[in-house]
Amino acid sequence: MVEVCIEFNNISKSYKDVLALDDISFSIRKGEIFGYIGPNGAGKTTTIKIIVGLIRDFKGDVFVNRTNINTSRNKLYNIIGYHPQEAGFQEWRTVNQAFKTFGRLSGLKSEHLEVRIHEILELVGLTDARYKKITHLSGGMFQKLRLGQALLHEPEILILDEPLAGLDPSSRFQFKKVIKKLAKRGITILFSSHILSDVEDIANKIGILHRGKIRRVGTPEELQSSFKVGDVIEIIVAKNTPLCEDLGSLSKVEYIENPKANKQLIHLKPNFDIDLTVSQIMNMLIEQKCRIRSFNLVKPSLEDVYLKYVGGETD
Amino acid sequence: MIVLWIGLPFLSFLIQFIDPGELEGMPISFLVSILVSSIGGTLSAIMLSTSIVSEKNRHVYVLFLIRPVKRSSLILAKYLAVYLCLIVAVAISLSIGLIVDGFTSRLSENFLNITFEYLIMGFSSMSITCSIGILFGVVISSVPVAAILSVYLGSQLSSLIILPVFFLEGLDPVILSLALGIPISIIVIGIDISLFNRQQF
Repeated sequence: MVEVCIEFNNISKSYKDVLALDDISFSIRKGEIFGYIGPNGAGKTTTIKIIVGLIRDFKGDVFVNRTNINTSRNKLYNIIGYHPQEAGFQEWRTVNQAFKTFGRLSGLKSEHLEVRIHEILELVGLTDARYKKITHLSGGMFQKLRLGQALLHEPEILILDEPLAGLDPSSRFQFKKVIKKLAKRGITILFSSHILSDVEDIANKIGILHRGKIRRVGTPEELQSSFKVGDVIEIIVAKNTPLCEDLGSLSKVEYIENPKANKQLIHLKPNFDIDLTVSQIMNMLIEQKCRIRSFNLVKPSLEDVYLKYVGGETD
Repeated sequence: MIVLWIGLPFLSFLIQFIDPGELEGMPISFLVSILVSSIGGTLSAIMLSTSIVSEKNRHVYVLFLIRPVKRSSLILAKYLAVYLCLIVAVAISLSIGLIVDGFTSRLSENFLNITFEYLIMGFSSMSITCSIGILFGVVISSVPVAAILSVYLGSQLSSLIILPVFFLEGLDPVILSLALGIPISIIVIGIDISLFNRQQF
């Protein structure tokens, strides 16, 4: 059984009258990529800041590698890399100087530090900007610098707060590639985002946070099945031909939507044999001699699941 | 800091153009040591308070605080960096003052003793001012407010502490300055570190 790497036990945190986190508990196993999602103001950054020790005034216990973070914080900083949502640099420094400073503060020796800086610059794509002043970096390069400083000391655990925010599509693709590469090396990754497509792409476990409460934690498949979100079949017929009838009579069909004149969305009930259902629908379409242009099985997206949880519905 | 290393010595150079009559025979180096430590102290308080506030607001400390270094190290490093640079600036300025005095034959027999006394008083005052500047930086969230408080309060408070030296006869000014300057600086820096440790970023 894979050991637990990060454990949150009954964590509550208030800012004056505002309850930011309300008795949340969850755990992350070693090697997992945990996607932490929720709307703005849900408490994601507060959770992350508690793990990395920037917020110390909270109720409950947080364990990292079975060590309570309140008892040996400095030891844990050697194994945790943190990419903050907001972090400034001393902008008069160059990228190289910034990496040297953070590397030394993380305990890296000079020779190893030089090698490591070179590796990190290549990994995040900042080799050409090594001797550039930080104040001259673009937004995307700034994000890469933040990621680079988090990886400098070869952490076992990576905590990323909105790592893909503000990046152009190709930078986002590169970033996701880097994150997947790091996960393959066995690094445990916790990243927060409100861009669900990014979370869907890389996370193998997801936690949904809303108004300071954990709504659900699980794999994408578990989230989908636990909230009884079924599959959808999209049928597009040729133009100016009628849509297929009587599909609603099938027992596995929950309801049918007709968003366009030549398009049908058949919402299936969850937890049925999808292959059998698809065969039955296809047989009906053939019997009715419908002129089909496109037949597509659409799995509910993380967005569908997320909106159901965050929208206030519970199972 | 480069501005201090150039500006203060330049100021001490300009002092020689004051009407010698107004100085009443006082060597330039005495005036330099008083003025430079006062101005230098105020400037350092402003620098410390505004840089700390600015770095807090730009979340610069986040990337330092997640490393295995003590929070107190950040405060002490800032204090020592500015204080040492100030000492260098005062030393350069004083050297220029002494050179000017040497050329203008204003040096008295015991000028070294008197210069040393004023220097120690100045360093004590600067030490207190730097620690107060850090206090303003840690406690305040606005850069302009930190700057104003440093200008009006920082320097005045440190001067008040050193004032007994001028009014209490029979007291050795060096011993009194050190006796007040060192403990007060330590206490204020202790408060600074304590408050910084409690901050949540």
